[in-house]
Amino acid sequence: MNDQWTNRLSEYIDGELDSTERASLEAHLATCGQCFATLGELRQVVLRAKSLDDAPPATDLWIEIAREIRREHAPARRDRLVRRRFSLTVGQLMAASIALVLLSGGGAWLALQSRQSTEPTPVGESTQRPRVGQLVTWTGHTDAAIADLQTALTQNERRLDTATVRIVRMNLAIIDRAIADARIALQKDPGNAYLNLHLANTMRRKVELLRRVNDMAAARS
Amino acid sequence: MPRQVLEDTLTADSIAADSALAASGDATAFERLYRTHVARVHTLVRRMLDADEADDVTQDVFIRAWQKLSTFRGESAFGTWLHRLAVNVVLARRKSVGIERGRFINEEEPLRGVTSKPVTPELSMDFEEALASLPEGARQVFVLHDVEGYRHEEIARMLGVVPGTSKSQLHHARMALRRHLDR
Repeated sequence: MNDQWTNRLSEYIDGELDSTERASLEAHLATCGQCFATLGELRQVVLRAKSLDDAPPATDLWIEIAREIRREHAPARRDRLVRRRFSLTVGQLMAASIALVLLSGGGAWLALQSRQSTEPTPVGESTQRPRVGQLVTWTGHTDAAIADLQTALTQNERRLDTATVRIVRMNLAIIDRAIADARIALQKDPGNAYLNLHLANTMRRKVELLRRVNDMAAARS
Repeated sequence: MPRQVLEDTLTADSIAADSALAASGDATAFERLYRTHVARVHTLVRRMLDADEADDVTQDVFIRAWQKLSTFRGESAFGTWLHRLAVNVVLARRKSVGIERGRFINEEEPLRGVTSKPVTPELSMDFEEALASLPEGARQVFVLHDVEGYRHEEIARMLGVVPGTSKSQLHHARMALRRHLDR
C-alpha cells in the first residue's frame, strides 16, 4: 500500500483534493488494488457513521434537572422575552406565536390598562375602537366555523395516527388557552384594539389548523 | 399537504411553542423539550466523552439550556441550538479536566485496541464500541465530522487546532474503524 496516497483517501472521499491531486490519486487507484479496497472500506465507515442511532440514557435524568431548574427564577427571562425577536415560519405561527400571545398579551393589556388610567384619551380615539356589538358579531361567526370544524375533526380523528392526534390536541390546547385569556381580558376592556386583534388572529389560526388537519384526515380516507 | 410534511410542521410548531413557553419559565414545556431531545444529546455526549460522564454532562447541558433560553432567538431550530450548546458544554468539560490538548495534538498516539483486525466475530467490537475505543482527539473529530456533519474549519475552531490536524485525526479514526464495520 502506498502511504502517500493512502493518507489522502479520506480527503478524496470528502472532495477536498484539488483537481490535479484528484487525477493523480485516481490514476494510482487504477493500479493499486490495496488502496482501492481501502477506499471502499473508508466509504463504508462514512456511511455507517451517518446511520448510527441515538439512544436515550438508561435512567431518567429529568428528576435531577427539574430539581436544579426549580431554583431558577423566571421574571427576568419574561422581561427579556418581550424584547426578543423570533424568526418563526408561517407554519410555526399556529403554535409558537400563540405561545407568545399568551405571554405578551396579558402583559401588554396590563400595560395598556395602566397607561389608560394615567394618560388622557386622544381626541377621536374612542370612535376608532371596536364596539362590543362588533366583537360579538365577528367572534360569533368564527365560533360557528370553529364548532363545525371541530365536529368534523372529531369524526375524522380516527383516521390519523396517535402521534399526530396528540400533537394536534397539544396545539389546539395552546390556542384555546390564548383565546380564553384574550376573552377574559376583553370582558374587562371590550374596546381594546390590541386585544381584539390578538383574539382575531388567534381564532383565525385555530380555524387554519382545524382545516389543515381535516384536509389531511380526508386525504387518508 | 403530504402527511409527513404536516406532521413535521406540527412537531416543529410544537417545539417552537414549547421553547417560547420554556423561555418564560414554564418547566412543563421544558420537560417536553427534554423528552424530545434527550436521546440525541445523550448520544452525542456519550460518543464525545467517556460513557460514565454522559449522564452528568447531559444534565448539565439541559440545565444550561434552561439558563440560556433567553438567548435563543428562534432564528434556528431549537434542536440545532441545543445541539450546538451540547457541543460547547462537552468541549468545556474537555478543557476543564485538562486532558484534551496533550492527547489531541499527538497524532502518533497508537489507536488503542482498535487497529487489529478481529479474529472471530465473537471477539469483535461493534462499531460503537470501536468508536469509544478511539483516542479522544480522533474520536471527537470523527463524531463531529462524520456523525454530526461539522466541517473541518468549524471543528478546528472548536478544538483549537488547525484544519490539517482535524483532517489527519479523521483519517486515523476512519482507518481504525474500517476494521470494525458491522458484519
